[in-house]
Amino acid sequence: MTARPPARAGAPAALVERVPDVATLATALDACDYLADDGLATAMFLSLRLPQPVLLEGEAGVGKTEAARALAAALGTPLIRLQCYEGMDSSEALYEWNYPRQLLRIRLAEAGGEDVGEDDLFGREYLVRRPVLEAIEHPGPLPAVLLVDELDRADHDFEAFLLELLADAAVTVPELGTIRAAVPPAVVLTSNRTRDLHDALKRRCLYHWIDYPAPAREVEIVRRRVPGSARALAEDVVGALGRMRTADVQKPPGIAEGIDWVAALALLGAERLDGEAAERTLGAVLKYREDQEAVRAAGLESLLRGPR
Amino acid sequence: MSAPPGGGASSFGRALARDAPIAAVALGRALRAAGLPVTPDRSRTFVAAAGLLGAGRKALYWAARLSFISSRDQLAAFDAVFAAVVDGIADPAGEPRGDPGAPAVPRAAPRAAEPPRTAAPATGGAASEQAGGARPLEPQTVAIGVGASPDERLSGTRLDELDDAELAIVARLVRRLALATPPRRARRSRASRRGEHLDVRATLRRSRRTAGDPVAQLHRRRRERLRPLVALLDVSGSMAPYARAYLLLLEGAARGARAETFVFATRLTRVTRALRQGRAHAALDRASRAAPDWAGGTRLGEALRTFNDRFGRRGLARDAVVVVLSDGWERGDPALVGREMERLARLAYRIVWVNPRVAAPGFAPLTGGMAAALPHIDELVSGHSVAALDAVVDALQRHRGWRSAGSWRG
Repeated sequence: MTARPPARAGAPAALVERVPDVATLATALDACDYLADDGLATAMFLSLRLPQPVLLEGEAGVGKTEAARALAAALGTPLIRLQCYEGMDSSEALYEWNYPRQLLRIRLAEAGGEDVGEDDLFGREYLVRRPVLEAIEHPGPLPAVLLVDELDRADHDFEAFLLELLADAAVTVPELGTIRAAVPPAVVLTSNRTRDLHDALKRRCLYHWIDYPAPAREVEIVRRRVPGSARALAEDVVGALGRMRTADVQKPPGIAEGIDWVAALALLGAERLDGEAAERTLGAVLKYREDQEAVRAAGLESLLRGPR
Repeated sequence: MSAPPGGGASSFGRALARDAPIAAVALGRALRAAGLPVTPDRSRTFVAAAGLLGAGRKALYWAARLSFISSRDQLAAFDAVFAAVVDGIADPAGEPRGDPGAPAVPRAAPRAAEPPRTAAPATGGAASEQAGGARPLEPQTVAIGVGASPDERLSGTRLDELDDAELAIVARLVRRLALATPPRRARRSRASRRGEHLDVRATLRRSRRTAGDPVAQLHRRRRERLRPLVALLDVSGSMAPYARAYLLLLEGAARGARAETFVFATRLTRVTRALRQGRAHAALDRASRAAPDWAGGTRLGEALRTFNDRFGRRGLARDAVVVVLSDGWERGDPALVGREMERLARLAYRIVWVNPRVAAPGFAPLTGGMAAALPHIDELVSGHSVAALDAVVDALQRHRGWRSAGSWRG
């Protein structure tokens, strides 16, 4: 194991000032149009202040990625996203040398009869920064937000490698030396649980399961995202979403689908959700033929007034 | 979720303020007793988090929940323990959460010592009689094998007739069977002398050695990876005699081929981790605890649906070789089995079904779950004896397109 700091270094002063408590963070997220509940706001607060990466899990479409985006907006720092996929390696996560440019430099030097040394070629201007290095090089004073999206898609060894980087908040480029973060990035990891993440990773993260929001909050979220949508319409849709989620559908609709649905209905000029409007827009919310059939068979009207 | 009920939170909060490590350790110990993987790291995180958040009940709840749990499955157990330790009543946060259909989690009561390793065979009698008609077909090489090694003698023996000593030998045999899946082309490529694509980047890099003239051409070739293997093992009463031997096979697969393994009777349980750590018996015990009506029968359709909803659709079964080890006896509606197998077939690369009853003379999958599943599977094999396990290994290695239509009607 690598040597770890003896105690938690704590958050930088600028961050403590910006985010003194959970309520302040929740308000800041709210101002960025992200309505976080107590648990999520607390998770993000602790993640910033401890500081420690936070691992977000939840059904597709409950706003995991959106949470990181809102956090960056609330801090006023860049969101740096690392989308994981199978076979990902360090040249795609960390850095790579810009070979064509180096080659061009050599050719130019030859043409001009000048001498070009290795130090010239392996300077920072020839470094292609990938997300992790970019996040570590962020100057501060507030930390950048590094979103490691769908970590479960990456390989096991990449997970371990990433963990090591995040623990040290430093990247070593052999030709340049170690680049240490002035302000370690705030790290948000998301996973869709297609495979178990390694225990070592989980141990170093805060864990938060994002649930579907309570109906009243979901109405607020949907209305924020679809400006000008009628409250009655949003309430109808959220009620119907709740019934679909408890019903026997393959892909329960997430918040994102709800937003799409309300947007579609609003575009068609609907003020309330009725059977006919639902029929015309069902494709915005249910993406499996079987699901649509099941809901139609049960009667679209039952979506509107059925038992929850 | 406003006022701390019963004042328990405040007393725990006071304890935390007085001696944070001791209070954190007390909570951690209770959580560990409930089966959560609590480490000193997590306790330390909890103390730091509680220090940042203050002592209210809500703050304590979130500090503990965010620090101690690492999976949604642990939520129910966590809530129960937190309620017990902090305020002695249920319903901690007052909000519904988690998956109402999630398997029951261990109660807050301390887990008893692991039961002795005899979970399965109690109910095997009925099934052995059912399949008993097949026995004369099986060459019992024991009598012939004067100089035969125990391996050879056992290889024709039916798996449900093994005693513990024989099972130990089988364990060794079975470990030799390397389960491997057909390869697929990976996204990544690697340098290769005669690859499919010219590697421009590497060629240019190399050309720096020759003053920028690309003399040597470098190529890349797509890597190949083995397809993921997903095993669904029926451990209900009727399969009990086979379950132990199959688990041994899957234990090898979990370590070697990185197989994901699930067991089910009436509930689906993921046992991959236990198998990777070589604890096949513990996995079986765990599954039996999770399904109280262990020998009560199979809910095949339900198990398949749970698998599809919670794992398969999310990507676990995508492009994977899926092997279902079950006799296909369904207590519920066979139509559900058909429907869920159809979904699974759309996700998976290939589906192999291992059914020990196939070896019985006159067996025809005409009714019940097996019949419903049949149109959606690629290969049906018996795997009823050690020798027959070889056929299972072969079946898993085959590429798509190979179907064993009607091969059970020998």
